[in-house]
Amino acid sequence: MNDAITVRNLKKEFKAYSSRSGLKGAFRDLLTRNYKIVPAVNNISFQVKQGEMVGYIGENGAGKSTTIKMLTGILTPTTGEVIVNGMNPHKDREKFVSTIGVVFGQRSQLWWDIAVQESFRLLKKVYKVSDEQYDSHMAHVIRTLDIEPLLDKPVRKLSLGQRMRCELAAALIHNPPLLFLDEPTIGLDVLVKLKIREFLKEINEKYNTTILLTTHDLSDIEALCERVVMLDEGKIIYDGALKSLKEKWGEGKEIEFQFLEDVTLNDLNRITASSEVKWEKDEKEAIFTAFAEDNDELISLLIAKVVADLKVKDINIKETSTEEIIRNIYDRGIS
Amino acid sequence: MFYIAIFFQYVAQYMKTRMQYRADLFVEIFSDLLFQAVNLIFILVVFGHTELLGGWTRDEIIFIYGFFLVPYALFSSFFNIWDFNERYIVKGELDRILTRPIHSLFQIVLERMELESLFGAVTGIAVMIYAGNSLGLGITWTDPFLFFLFVIGGMLVYGGIFVLIACISFWADARTSIMPMMYNIGNYGRYPVDIYNSVIRFVLTWVLPFAFVGVYPASYFLGKEEWFLYSFLTPVIGIVFFGISILTWNSGVKRYRGAGN
Repeated sequence: MNDAITVRNLKKEFKAYSSRSGLKGAFRDLLTRNYKIVPAVNNISFQVKQGEMVGYIGENGAGKSTTIKMLTGILTPTTGEVIVNGMNPHKDREKFVSTIGVVFGQRSQLWWDIAVQESFRLLKKVYKVSDEQYDSHMAHVIRTLDIEPLLDKPVRKLSLGQRMRCELAAALIHNPPLLFLDEPTIGLDVLVKLKIREFLKEINEKYNTTILLTTHDLSDIEALCERVVMLDEGKIIYDGALKSLKEKWGEGKEIEFQFLEDVTLNDLNRITASSEVKWEKDEKEAIFTAFAEDNDELISLLIAKVVADLKVKDINIKETSTEEIIRNIYDRGIS
Repeated sequence: MFYIAIFFQYVAQYMKTRMQYRADLFVEIFSDLLFQAVNLIFILVVFGHTELLGGWTRDEIIFIYGFFLVPYALFSSFFNIWDFNERYIVKGELDRILTRPIHSLFQIVLERMELESLFGAVTGIAVMIYAGNSLGLGITWTDPFLFFLFVIGGMLVYGGIFVLIACISFWADARTSIMPMMYNIGNYGRYPVDIYNSVIRFVLTWVLPFAFVGVYPASYFLGKEEWFLYSFLTPVIGIVFFGISILTWNSGVKRYRGAGN
């Protein structure tokens, strides 16, 4: 199968001016300016296959948006090679962009003053989509995203969630094989998020659409993507399956106990002395948490021991969440 | 062909939106008319004090003003790029433009058109007819064609200059106040250039060729033979300046840095 995106040694540098302090400094800035070259994206390489859904994550300023903008032909790379859908995005820009769909969560693609369907109609002309194509494809999109009742309203009267669904539909008018989503669920409520996720899955299955997604909401990525590319300070620090990220960086499991009787930490430590477990007590709710390695036998043994000795009210087994894993990676760095 | 079709799609859409705000539309046309009337009154006041201005009569100058209004109306209908820096660079709207399969400048022209400014062309033609009558000018069969050619040339001169100024935003971060200044300089083209000193004349002919929007092409219809060469240069200058501005624009877009989120 063909690669939808190939990126090799991609680099984007920005010149950043730093101003000197004080009035004297301001005068000197007039004549000669201090600037330093800041790499926003530093030598990254990756490939995305047709039909893959990839999560592109990183902190603010890690270079996510810059990468997306280079992949969509908005920015010209400083050095390196980008091939998307077999084309060089910034060279054949006009031909290239009709093979991609783009949604920027914070920027509207639609015309503010006109009804949604008028926007769609105009975009249909812009992308040279024939009536038959439009009818067969968009009817489905409109139904799935449930935007039928919104079509005759002007965009400025829509709520954020309604607008976002319309944006998504607008990006798909020409049924592109590749879809870029830059924070598509920012500020949306849970129901809309779920609807959008479901829709993306459906599109991906039905048309084998490649989707590259950046988001701060990791639950989006967990729900959609098998693969994540993680970026930090312009460099890729992880590229692989979400599952192995969890296995590698997940820090064991947490088992929460609530007891019917009064228990102290000492009791618990005594009971489980033979295994490697760390106990903690949440004073407020009298919840005791055991931190143990992610090992099924160890955990079942641990539970058996506790249950045999004490009367238990509630047990809850928790995995380290992706969010925590990623926070840990950023805090400590990958090593 | 595709671009023409798209153009009319946008025009249709524009009209639909505009019809919803009828009051707005009338206010705008009215304020345009008022603006043109003030300029006309200014010319009349000047000629209340003198018979000739550098060898030009009152009606001739009014004729030039009338001509000027036509390419200017076309320009202000389609080249509303005076706020390009704030709107497209600072706010990052150019990102959206660049993800669509139409030339970026053409998209901005389409998005920002203000067709009610075209009404100025009607005023301009009316002023020309009035002044032409007083001057006893006749019309030959070539005049409408040359008029069309000169008007398009004048519009391209204006468009080219303003696109070039908009391009500065691709290279410099800071906002500039060149735009409003340029609108002022543009007004000089409405008067005969030989009333200015030779430096200004040179600038208005070759550097910021605003004279090709007003006085030069209008001289042809006034039968001022000493200016005929310049009159026929109008479309050439228009194409050259507009061509340069498009090339500059294209290389500017490559340097576009985008706005942060």
